[in-house]
Amino acid sequence: MIRTDRLAAASRWKDKSLSEKAVTALGLMGLALALPPFPGALAVLVAASLLAWRSGVGPADWLALLAPPAAFIATGTVALAVEIDAAGLHLAADGGRAGLAVALRALAAVAALLLLAATTPTPALIGGLRRLGLAPELAEVALAIYRFIFILQDTAQTMHAVQAARLGTVGWRRRIRSAGLLAASLLPRALDRAHRQEIGLAARGFDGSLRTLSAHRPVSVWGLARAAILLVSIAGLGLAW
Amino acid sequence: MVILEACGLHYAYPGGAPALAGLDLAVRRGRRLAILGPNGAGKTTLLLHLNGTLEPKSGQVRIDGAAMAHGRAQRASWRRRVGLVLQDPDDQLFAGTVAEDVSFGPLNLGLDESVVAARVAEALESLRIADLADRPPHMLSFGQKKRAAIAGAVAMRPDILLLDEPSAGLDPFGTVHLLAALDRLCQGGTTLVFTTHDVDLAWSWADDVALFATGQVVRQGEAETVLADHQALAAAHLKPPFLLELGLKARALGLLAADAPLPRKRADGLALLEGLAR
Ligand SMILES: Nc1ncnc2c1ncn2[C@@H]1O[C@H](COP(=O)(O)OP(=O)(O)OP(=O)(O)O)[C@@H](O)[C@H]1O
Ligand SMILES: [Mg+2]
Repeated sequence: MIRTDRLAAASRWKDKSLSEKAVTALGLMGLALALPPFPGALAVLVAASLLAWRSGVGPADWLALLAPPAAFIATGTVALAVEIDAAGLHLAADGGRAGLAVALRALAAVAALLLLAATTPTPALIGGLRRLGLAPELAEVALAIYRFIFILQDTAQTMHAVQAARLGTVGWRRRIRSAGLLAASLLPRALDRAHRQEIGLAARGFDGSLRTLSAHRPVSVWGLARAAILLVSIAGLGLAW
Repeated sequence: MVILEACGLHYAYPGGAPALAGLDLAVRRGRRLAILGPNGAGKTTLLLHLNGTLEPKSGQVRIDGAAMAHGRAQRASWRRRVGLVLQDPDDQLFAGTVAEDVSFGPLNLGLDESVVAARVAEALESLRIADLADRPPHMLSFGQKKRAAIAGAVAMRPDILLLDEPSAGLDPFGTVHLLAALDRLCQGGTTLVFTTHDVDLAWSWADDVALFATGQVVRQGEAETVLADHQALAAAHLKPPFLLELGLKARALGLLAADAPLPRKRADGLALLEGLAR
């Protein structure tokens, strides 16, 4: 979440309309799930990675984004690709093909979603959901949580730095002790901060709804057309193979 | 002409010693008032009373002579007139981008979106952060956050703007820019109240000064008289500003005419020295 937001804020696609990005990402995800995994899902994975690269996500960041879900998917795949019976541990009857297909599909779908996450700041995503009919209360709670994540992270980072400066992280015993202290006081501190935020909002006339003037990003017909062309070509490739 | 007034305010935090103990303060219209006091004196607590966030145990706050009530509707109209910028900008910024954050207050005033957009642009420009409009607040430096938080209050065009330690954490250049922006506001008719423990800043910039010690205002009035009162300053654990001391010394030695203005800014002090050398 934190990494995606950092990337999104610096993305070349930050000002692209949300609809264009959503059509591209969700379309790619749909294709990853619908097309035969080879070459369909593979093509989606490659396309998502190339688009991420074009939007300004460096290869290292992209791999770091993909790594945690990939690890999850890999553990799941092992269960499909490997069998244990009286003869011991061996590859599944289909040679692990089913496992590989599922893994490829899942990874491609995740990559398509990450493309959206790494190019769109969370508040813009929430704004989009609100326009699609998400209850305003839910949208505002989501936005408040989003802010709170940064406050928590910032508070934790500061506390950790302060502990380290006083040698609280030298040796594993002290490290564990410091981590315990940090965990114990992080929440009260963050809550205190949230309370002060409430004062700050009230001072500007907060009446229960967090309305702000967000920049409208017009949908470009050409952008949508490009997304459609990409999706249709991948679909064609996947079906014609 | 007094615009905002606190009379006999008493307040104690739950389970704490008294933070305000019979505090009286008068804020004059169109002036810049510095509230000077050491850490823990109760400055922040006072500002939270002046915009209706905290309700005193006894005493009252008056605007234009009318006592303010703490009902929901009254508080809303109170906050239309009295803006507040908190000590820590992180307590104030919440939206996805700086411009969105600044638009929050004006939208709550019920203004049209086009009017709000104009106010946002103006507030960002007056604090010289127009280039940060699309940045998320968590990707700003402390000083930039501080200016964004002030812009959020300025965009509401309050009659009175309360600022809690506005210059704390700003570099000298940032402070100069901030004070210039606040000066423009003051010229536009906004009454400014700010807290600080920097006596030199108060002397160089404030028209009026209130000295704060242990929950009370021990002395208030024009900067020149209050800041020259060694006893009152000592009671508030503060020292007189250097340029004021310099000017008074020059007067006492007959080097500066009794009716000549005392040096307030650095440049005034240097000019005084140059005048002496000639
Ligand atoms: N939330 C709180 N709960 C309990 N006591 C508090 C709380 N906030 C402040 N106090 C106490 O009230 C007194 C006044 O605090 P206040 O924050 O108003 O001081 P201040 O003049 O703003 O200080 P500083 O210059 O450090 O900002 C202090 O003694 C402080 O310990
Ligand atoms: Mg304070």
